[in-house]
Amino acid sequence: MNNSFGLNHIIQFFLFVALQVLLMDNLALYSMGFCFIYVAFLLYLPLTINRVWLLVLGFAVGFTVDVFYDTMGIHAAASVLLAFLRPHVLNLLTPRDGYDSSDAVNIHVMGTRWFLTYAFTLILLHHMAVFFLETINFQTALYTMAKTLLSTLFTGIVVVIIQLLFFSPKRERIDYR
Amino acid sequence: MRNLFAFIYRFRAFLVFLLLEVLCIFLIVRYNTYQGAAFFNSANRYVGQVLDFQSGITDYFRLTDINQTLASENAALRQELMQFRLATEIDSTATLDTTYFAPTDSSLALPYHLKASRVINNSVRRMNNYLTIAKGTADGIQPGMGVVSPHGVVGRIKTVSERYATVTSLLHSQMLISAKLQKDNTFGTIKWQGGDYRTALLDYIPLHVKPEKGDTVVTSGFNTVFPEGIMVGTISSIEQEPDKSFYTIGVKLSVDFAQLSYVYVVENTYKQERDSLEQNTGIITDEQ
Repeated sequence: MNNSFGLNHIIQFFLFVALQVLLMDNLALYSMGFCFIYVAFLLYLPLTINRVWLLVLGFAVGFTVDVFYDTMGIHAAASVLLAFLRPHVLNLLTPRDGYDSSDAVNIHVMGTRWFLTYAFTLILLHHMAVFFLETINFQTALYTMAKTLLSTLFTGIVVVIIQLLFFSPKRERIDYR
Repeated sequence: MRNLFAFIYRFRAFLVFLLLEVLCIFLIVRYNTYQGAAFFNSANRYVGQVLDFQSGITDYFRLTDINQTLASENAALRQELMQFRLATEIDSTATLDTTYFAPTDSSLALPYHLKASRVINNSVRRMNNYLTIAKGTADGIQPGMGVVSPHGVVGRIKTVSERYATVTSLLHSQMLISAKLQKDNTFGTIKWQGGDYRTALLDYIPLHVKPEKGDTVVTSGFNTVFPEGIMVGTISSIEQEPDKSFYTIGVKLSVDFAQLSYVYVVENTYKQERDSLEQNTGIITDEQ
């Protein structure tokens, strides 16, 4: 993984949004578990990305999904929240000797425990925002919580699977240019 | 002044965050009540093209079902047509002597036009569900028109672009549809409360009527959106809660929203006349 925002991430943006809109839209477990895989785009961004830039990207990806889902603003709000919280979560999870310059969001590099804590915390917060903004009221809070938990599990597992399949275990990618 | 700029610079991430969240909340609130031309939603031209492409592929997998529905609808329509033809053959008023000739009463003609359209995007599992159809202003679709399928009521047009339109599905937490019991014309309101997409709630049926399981619920025709007598569903459960003066009635919807592929948009040619009359007389029209 490169440590700066590049073509790689732009491709990921379109890939994840397409995956979300074309495929994941039709998948729902027990009509309660939803997969919002587009958050993976925000999760996989470089560790040292500028905070303001991250917020703008969060808004962009959320808004794009909103346009397809006719949920004006809901996914954008949740994604901006995720983008805002991400640096804080990263701070909390700093390894003992700080982040290396070659560190990236990669399950092989950072270790399973680090990655699972990082991914599941952020996904949980994002999904909670989405589902509570969707219902607005708190009368069905229990049902909404159940939906949030199942969906977090679903999205989290897909995020981990994508890591295991497509991210190389090498610490630094060899640049052939 | 410099301190102020330094302050803003220091907390720029937080301020941008606040700004974007406020923008999002504004969008959410505005879109909930918004009806009109489409900009940033699935009726948007480019978004519509993507969804059109997608449904172009997935439609092939449902071709058998679609054909079956269309064939059975054709059969039903043919049967109705046959009855009418029989009736006109028996009725000989038109061939009578010219003195007795009664021209067809134009007020009996139904003011409704139907426009068939393909569904290119659909959802049933969210709290607020929408459909996208591949017809827009170019085909005469306007916001506020009703949408029905061969099996019953589907929803109402929300926003339109030139070639696409979004439909607020009956499965929307703020959608209300005026309905009545077919057997005794008691009217109530259909609403959906989330969860199962096969059942909705029929509210405001007073306690003196005796609804039974299996009774048919149809649209009331008390507004200009839907014609009278369009199927909504059948009663599946009746509860009488002690602290309420109305029944809580569960209705099994006749439309399978997960299987929608073709719908009809209902255009009421008398809509404007009726709406303006009701508004001028001070009757607040039921917006749904």
